[in-house]
Parts: sequence; C-alpha cells; structure tokens
Amino acid sequence: MAQAQIQIRGESVEELLARAYERAYEEGWTDGLPIIPATPGSVQQFVAASGRAADEVIGLIPPRKGRATVEAIAVSAVMAGCRPEYMPVILAAVEGMLDPSYPLEFMQVTTNPMTPFLLVNGPVRKRLDINCGTGCLGPGWRANATIGRAIRLIMNNIGGALPGVYSKVSFGSPLRYSYICGENEEENPWTPFHVERGFRREESTVTVFKASNFCNISGGEGVGPEEILRQIATNMPPMYGGGDGVLLLLGVNHARALHEAGLARRDIQRRLWEMARLPVRYFAEGFAATERAAGRGDADTVWRARSPDEIYLAVAGGPGPQDVYIGAGMPQTRAIRGA
Amino acid sequence: MVVTDTFAKFARRMSSTQGWPYVIIAETENPIRQLEPEALRVRAESMMGVIIDGLTLPPREIESRLKSVARAEIHPQGIVRSATPV
Repeated sequence: MAQAQIQIRGESVEELLARAYERAYEEGWTDGLPIIPATPGSVQQFVAASGRAADEVIGLIPPRKGRATVEAIAVSAVMAGCRPEYMPVILAAVEGMLDPSYPLEFMQVTTNPMTPFLLVNGPVRKRLDINCGTGCLGPGWRANATIGRAIRLIMNNIGGALPGVYSKVSFGSPLRYSYICGENEEENPWTPFHVERGFRREESTVTVFKASNFCNISGGEGVGPEEILRQIATNMPPMYGGGDGVLLLLGVNHARALHEAGLARRDIQRRLWEMARLPVRYFAEGFAATERAAGRGDADTVWRARSPDEIYLAVAGGPGPQDVYIGAGMPQTRAIRGA
Repeated sequence: MVVTDTFAKFARRMSSTQGWPYVIIAETENPIRQLEPEALRVRAESMMGVIIDGLTLPPREIESRLKSVARAEIHPQGIVRSATPV
C-alpha cells in the first residue's frame, strides 16, 4: 500500500471508531461527517473491484496536483461508505472531471459554490441500485449518497480543496456533500441521455456537469405542453454564475405529457430557449453586459443559454408534477468500465 | 505578482502548486475597485520597490529571503480548514 498509514488503538470498538473519526476530522480528511476508516485490507478490496492496478494514475487533481491513483481514490471511496463495486463509477467520474475542458481547478478554488453533478446511465444503475426514480436526489440511497461523497473527499483530500485555505468558497453548498442521480431511462419516452451523447443504450456511463445550483420546479399539472414549458422556463431565469448551460431533469409526468403532445426533445430545448428570457431592465447593467458578451443577450433581452444545445434534457425522479432545474454545463461523459 | 492583501497567501499557495513558492508578491490593501486613477497611481508607486526586487534579484537571493515566509503562508501551522480565509 503506497498511502501513508497510521495506527489507532482503542479499548473497545466504539472507542476505536470514535478515535478514527476524530483523527480524520482533525487532519482535515472528512466533509465533517463520520467516515469509515480505510484499512489496507478494505483498500485492497476496492482496488480489486476496480479491475485496475493500484498505482495507475488517473490524473493530477488541482490545486495541489495530488496524484489520483486508483489506490488513493479507493481510500476516499472506503471513507465515504461506498461498496467496492462502486469503484468503476467513481473512476469514470474522476476521468471526466480531469478532462482539460472541465473547469476543475476553477471549481476547487473559486468563491462560487459550483460542484460536480453526476448523471449515471445504463445498466449499472440497476446493478448498483443507483436511484433514478422517487427521491433520486436523496436522501436514502447508499449508492447515490456515497458515490457523490467519495467525489467530494477526492476533491478535498487528493486535490486539497480545503475551505478557507485553498478553496475560497464564500458559502459552500449542501450540494457539495453529494450530487448525483441516475437517469430514469425506463420512463424516458425519448432516447436516454447517454445515447444522445453517442453511446450505446446497453453501455453504462457517467456524465459530470459543472453545476451551480438546485431548483425544484413545482406545478404545471394538466395544463398542456405550452404551459408546462412556460412554468419551467419562468423558473430558470438568467443568473450569474450559472452560465454554460442548463440541465433540466424532467419529471416523469411532464415527460410523458410532453411526449404525448408530440414534442421531440429538440422541440422542448428550442421552446425553453425561447421562453427563458427576460427584459434587460430586470438586470444590473454589469450582468447584462456580461451576458451580451457571452452571447446570451442583446440590447433588449437577456436569455438563459447561448443556444438550445446548451439546454440538456434528462428524465429523472418519481411521479408528481415536479421537475428539477440545475444551472449546469460543460458535461463530460465517460464509459464505466468493468461495472 | 501584484495582488491585494486578501489574496496574497492564496497567491503564494497557488504559485507553489505551479512549482515556485518563492515568487515575489507586491501587495496593496483590498479593495482597489473603487479607487480613482490618481489614488491607484499612489498605490502602484508604493509597490515599485518590491516589483523591482522581483525583476532584478537573483532567484537564490529571493529564495533565501522568502523561505520562512513561504513556509508559514503555504502551510499555516495548526490550520486544516478555516471559516476565515487564511
């Protein structure tokens, strides 16, 4: 095992666990919640489940340029409470986050609380019990809770994004504990998200977005497609720090209603792009100027995305007149190998 | 490097991740956004000595001057995380 090891002793199991947690907290290795101590045996088990060599370097995580080896990632996965079989999902997500076009370094140090959002597609969702239906954004599902948490521990412990030291995040965000769900492909009347991005339906993938917020949109029940879309559009106004796109997790009821009304995915993207705009007088001039420069505004209006292509659509969640809008963009999709 | 004091330690940490912890940093008090050109000129002139040092001193001299400063700024003793930026 290449990672540094420490020994902790206790007179009882309770004392041992408490000391392990206290030590990890003092060292800055946790997100504040208790961790599972990573032992050489458990790390070895997680590495084996990844199907890759312990010393394989997935990349260097900024800002500290920490070496994200499979073993170091396994340590974070154990601490987060993952099962060994989650490792391929975590590795694929880290690969996506390390793509040169993904703003990981910026995300690690900025005052804005942006964070990765993970969307999982394909058969792996069922195999690992990654929730994509009722309550998919949590709490309650181990895979969702711990895979997302492992990503945060990797960012902090390997990348060094410790609040107030390297990370200058002003408020932080509860989304930084874990932000992940599966796509509800079974209730998606169009093609699944990963197929839209060029993968085969039977492949498993994880897509990592740069995400800035969470907004649950309620309403729009039994009112027809135009009103459903208007209800959604009025809840996704232009916003500072939420550029680079929109991820709309359409609820299953609305997805079905829009599909039955004959709308294709492209129609929804285009209509939302047309509707999610406001008069320029609603905004501070500095903001309006920034948006104009970014191609999201003109002399009279500011709009939400540069083009319909930047409105990413997936279907998730359970029954109910609800959708979720996430200011999210720069998606990186990676195949999950060996899950 | 020219920064306002709010960002000086952060600048040194980021510089150290790029392999050069001993960068000369000219600081001025934050904020500067509201300053008129004349006030900005005064601030800039007060930093000139440090800037010229950074442009003219040999690297070995810079390193010896900044060794202990850099260590304290990059890894502040006893700090793991902080509610007040350090």
